[in-house]
Amino acid sequence: MKPPRFAYCAPQTLPELLEILSEAGDEAVVLAGGQSLLPMLNLRLAAPSHVIDLDRVPGLDRIDGANGCVEVGAMVTHRRMETDPVVAASAPLARCAAGFVGYRAIRNRGTVGGSVAHADPAAEWPIVLLALDGAVDLASVRGWRSVAAEDFFESVYTTAKRPDEVVTSLSFGSRFAHSWGFSEFQRRVGDFATVAVAVACVMESGEVAEARVAIAGVADRPVRCPEAEAALVAGSRSAASDAAAAARDSIEPISDIHGSSSFRKRLIYAETQRAALQALRANGAGADDG
Amino acid sequence: MAELSVSVNGELTAAQVDPRTLLSDYLRDHLGLTGTHVGCEHGYCGACTVLVDGASVRSCLTLAVQADGRSVDTVESLASNGELHPIQQAFKECHGLQCGFCTPGLLMSVLELAATNPGCGRDEIREHLSGNVCRCTGYHHIVDAVEAALNSVREQGDGS
Amino acid sequence: MAADQAPRYFGARVARRQDDRLLRGDGRYVADISPAGVLAAKFVRSDEAHAVVAGIDIEAASVAEGVKEVFVGEDFADNEIRCVSSYAGFQESAQPILALDRVRHVGEALAMVVADNEYVAEDAAELVVADLEPLPAAVDIDTALDVGCAPLHPGWRDNAFVRRRATTYGFNEASSSAPHRVSIELHNGRHSGVPIETRACVAEHDPGTGRFRLHTTTQIPHLIRAGLSWALGVPESLIQVIAPDVGGGFGIKAQLYPEEVACCLAARRLSRPVKWVEDRREHFVAAHHSREHRHSVTGYFDDDGTILALEADIAVDMGAYSVFPWTATMDGGMAMGILPGPYRIHEYSVSSTSVCTNKTPYGAYRGVARPAACFSIERLMDQIARHLGVDRVEIRNRNLLADGDYPWRSPSGLIYDSGSLVESLDAVLALGDLEGLLKRQADARTAGRLVGVGLAVFTEQTAHTTQEFKQRGVPIVFGYETAKVRLDASGTAVVSASIHDHGQGLETTLAQVAADRLGLDLEQIRVEYGDTEQVAYGAGTFASRSAVLAGGAVTKAADAVADTLRQVAAHMLEAAPEDMVVETGRVSVAGSPSQFLETTELCRLIYQRPERLPEGVEPHLEASRTYDAHPGTGAYTNAAHLASVEIDPLTGKTRVLSYAVVEDCGPMINPTIVEGQIFGGVAQGVGSALFEEFLYDEAGQPLSTTFADYLVPVMSDIPDFQVAHLQTPSPHTIGGLKGMGEGGAIAPGAVIASAVEDALSHLVGTVTVDRLPLTPERVLGYIDAANGNGTGP
Repeated sequence: MKPPRFAYCAPQTLPELLEILSEAGDEAVVLAGGQSLLPMLNLRLAAPSHVIDLDRVPGLDRIDGANGCVEVGAMVTHRRMETDPVVAASAPLARCAAGFVGYRAIRNRGTVGGSVAHADPAAEWPIVLLALDGAVDLASVRGWRSVAAEDFFESVYTTAKRPDEVVTSLSFGSRFAHSWGFSEFQRRVGDFATVAVAVACVMESGEVAEARVAIAGVADRPVRCPEAEAALVAGSRSAASDAAAAARDSIEPISDIHGSSSFRKRLIYAETQRAALQALRANGAGADDG
Repeated sequence: MAELSVSVNGELTAAQVDPRTLLSDYLRDHLGLTGTHVGCEHGYCGACTVLVDGASVRSCLTLAVQADGRSVDTVESLASNGELHPIQQAFKECHGLQCGFCTPGLLMSVLELAATNPGCGRDEIREHLSGNVCRCTGYHHIVDAVEAALNSVREQGDGS
Repeated sequence: MAADQAPRYFGARVARRQDDRLLRGDGRYVADISPAGVLAAKFVRSDEAHAVVAGIDIEAASVAEGVKEVFVGEDFADNEIRCVSSYAGFQESAQPILALDRVRHVGEALAMVVADNEYVAEDAAELVVADLEPLPAAVDIDTALDVGCAPLHPGWRDNAFVRRRATTYGFNEASSSAPHRVSIELHNGRHSGVPIETRACVAEHDPGTGRFRLHTTTQIPHLIRAGLSWALGVPESLIQVIAPDVGGGFGIKAQLYPEEVACCLAARRLSRPVKWVEDRREHFVAAHHSREHRHSVTGYFDDDGTILALEADIAVDMGAYSVFPWTATMDGGMAMGILPGPYRIHEYSVSSTSVCTNKTPYGAYRGVARPAACFSIERLMDQIARHLGVDRVEIRNRNLLADGDYPWRSPSGLIYDSGSLVESLDAVLALGDLEGLLKRQADARTAGRLVGVGLAVFTEQTAHTTQEFKQRGVPIVFGYETAKVRLDASGTAVVSASIHDHGQGLETTLAQVAADRLGLDLEQIRVEYGDTEQVAYGAGTFASRSAVLAGGAVTKAADAVADTLRQVAAHMLEAAPEDMVVETGRVSVAGSPSQFLETTELCRLIYQRPERLPEGVEPHLEASRTYDAHPGTGAYTNAAHLASVEIDPLTGKTRVLSYAVVEDCGPMINPTIVEGQIFGGVAQGVGSALFEEFLYDEAGQPLSTTFADYLVPVMSDIPDFQVAHLQTPSPHTIGGLKGMGEGGAIAPGAVIASAVEDALSHLVGTVTVDRLPLTPERVLGYIDAANGNGTGP
């Protein structure tokens, strides 16, 4: 289990990086922390022509908390998300989710940008982005663009990012930041989620005005569940259970060796209920059930 | 080939390596530091854990070139002047190892724990070290050893 | 054979002597060994479960950068691994070193690339193209045994390596007249020991002398030498096998593997050392699997729950080949023998089928069939208790063997030498606080939570030797272990043993034994093992035998050396040899403590002043002894386990909350090491019970080939343990020792299944937990059944 041969380059500036990307073609990959790429290389599930290391490119590891939004550079590690005070204050859901990513040694090296670009449908960051109305910022020699999380994740390991683009940062919106819940079913500490659910709400006068329910591990990409969101907004006394049931009944999950589709439905119910209760309890809204 | 210059256990090393060389293989094959063990090469078992700039990483999920210009510490750095490190001593006294294969990676994870969260209790120890798999001990004596090691680290900290 | 003074080390919790080097990173494992000029081997493996090998194209690989040679099956066609049982009707399999015309499981080696290093070897391996024509695969017991399924090996009648059955004379009458019966079918998932060190070997061949030297990750160096001798067609004198530090074995490293033979052959062809380090993905498909048993058991009992007869049908999925040195009969045979367990059962009828399938071959794993046997008999006891409305503890107490029953001849013919079953069960209920657990369970139920308590009792045959193995039909009878003790002129000792220490602490415990017998300090003794040049022969470390048999052999050899010390000291002190006493650091005259010689001085004189020796005494202090614990039927350890679990009612995820063990392995040389072995075994048993399973699809494709898919317990999955000991000596062994390395792993499946069933026992439906591992999805299925419906919330 050794990586296949590749050409390696470590650009020193962003323009240099973008130039290399534009010339390297479809078979090049970008190396951030490597915690998704290295297993793929060691297992020889990936055989890139070029590995382009972001480590020397300055400015990709900033955390910026202006205006209640949080902008996080692609090279920020999971561990920093877990410990950074700006994240804790402005995007506590992200701080919580970071703790579920792998083990400490993985979190020390793995990055949010790498995880999002990798687009594992069971990963935490994509659903955090979806729940917080986030976006992914991309750069290429052609310029900059920002893609809403909704539009970014297309399929397993497949995103809206074009081969000549690099993820430079993620941004988490502020509207949904303060009423949130996160719950994940892991077989063991550090495992990928079988199912993970992020819930975030906009509260007005103690009522849920708007809700986001984003679920990982159930499809070829992270999904939002409008039916569950509607149940939270409807705001009955059993809103969390209603949302959980709506999610369970509206999603047809995948099957794999970690769980059949019908088992995943049960997990969707359990984790949606828990995440929703956490989100609602944070504001004292309809939290009787559970 | 890629140029590489990395400080390992306080000594500067330099080499030309194939860029695909894993840090674990650089340590073991190029430098002869075979104390770092390789158990899975996909990031799950933790046997290959080393510190890079003081933070634990999987050396099997790190290219040697990614350590260029950085400082790497392996199990061989722990003992000083022939004396076991307090963490090693605690593992010895508490029977915290059997076959010894997972031990070096585990010790490096404990070293990080002692530096960042020396006050944690048994449940937190278990949670924190869940990325280091041991097949021999059933973990009980490891948790004893880590508890004892954190105590001795705390005592040293209090005394200074 | 008592020592002259009370033991200083036997029974003491001394720290392990190997830990210093292991903690410093100075251990020396096979992967750390790279002789000058070493080449790296990489195997190309079948991705089909069953196929005709129409051709293998190695052209591109052969000319790839850094490649020295690419071997295919024909290159090694003169060599094979064949392990034949003497049981009537046994059907032989020949395992090729590299596949010839057929592949019989995913992971079987098709070609071997030898190159400058692992990176280029792997590059070249990707260039090998195998033309495989798929055949229908027999992936499970029923498919393989179906009359329509073609035999997997040429000349076979069907896909059973062997079928065996045995019935006691009184079985039919006892079973037909019994007022009650309960039947269950039990399934154990396929899994294995999965040590953190994968397999590895380094083969060297010296063309001048024709000698092979193989460093390999094995528990059984002498048996590997024997197996290599057969497979290579080379006498043992030309083969040296060395097992240095080994990173966990658990049985998986107690077989000869084709890769070891291939590396020897390649080293001879290329006149270069050849090294292979298994990668983790290979480990999951090519290192031996274990544990996959299906048992149908019926208990016949009277109104008060006394068992009158037991009936069992055992099937074990042995995979594609019979393995050396155990054959493909080991698990089925062991399960037949031990299934009646710790109970006073007189009448027994059992059949067993060792099934050949298109899966990775099946070898030893800690406990060998005993976890499945314990699961069956203990699940049966729980069902009998429920059938009669009797408490689970009470039903066991009514049937457990008691003091007056020993020696007990089980209905399968095993001789249980001694035990403390009732006492251990009593003790574990107190240690684990059954009363408190039941109180917490009641509170939890009030709060709508699912908490259960489980227990199991078992007896474990350990340290069985000639008498036992000669009945098992194996080609080599594992009858004894060997130890050599040498005192040198400095008064320090080297103890060499045929066992191996890969975590069990024998480097320490054997030193404890020798130090006591020779009156030396522990620091004056070095224990060595793992090199076939050190002692003549022996079997190795498996079957919970090493402390008993090597301990006994060390005792015998050390006593022989001590006799020479007494003899020479007596001569020099002008006293009678029988009056000499070996004490700490000296040999003195009994009753005259001022008359003595220091041991160090005595050693120097014996080697360096031969003129002062009495007539007939040779100037050396060395003895080699073997030990076969007569009568060879084994020393029986027993234990009782008690645990509690909590189940998440929404997800089925089960957590072990508490786990208590009372174990009786006789006198303990080092209780701390014993406890470490118990804890490690229990944790592996928790893996068996909750996590670990090699899954296959219908085409025979393995689905669990990384640590993301094959789940071993991590630190947060295992609770703190409570442990206590009873110490009933064996009448059969030196010092009364009993083995215990495997015991911890035997009961957890039964205990946790019992606890999960108990957690659901207050619900409307009755469920029988009958399948391991208890994955969350399976547990949800039981919850649904217990709730009387097929749907959840």
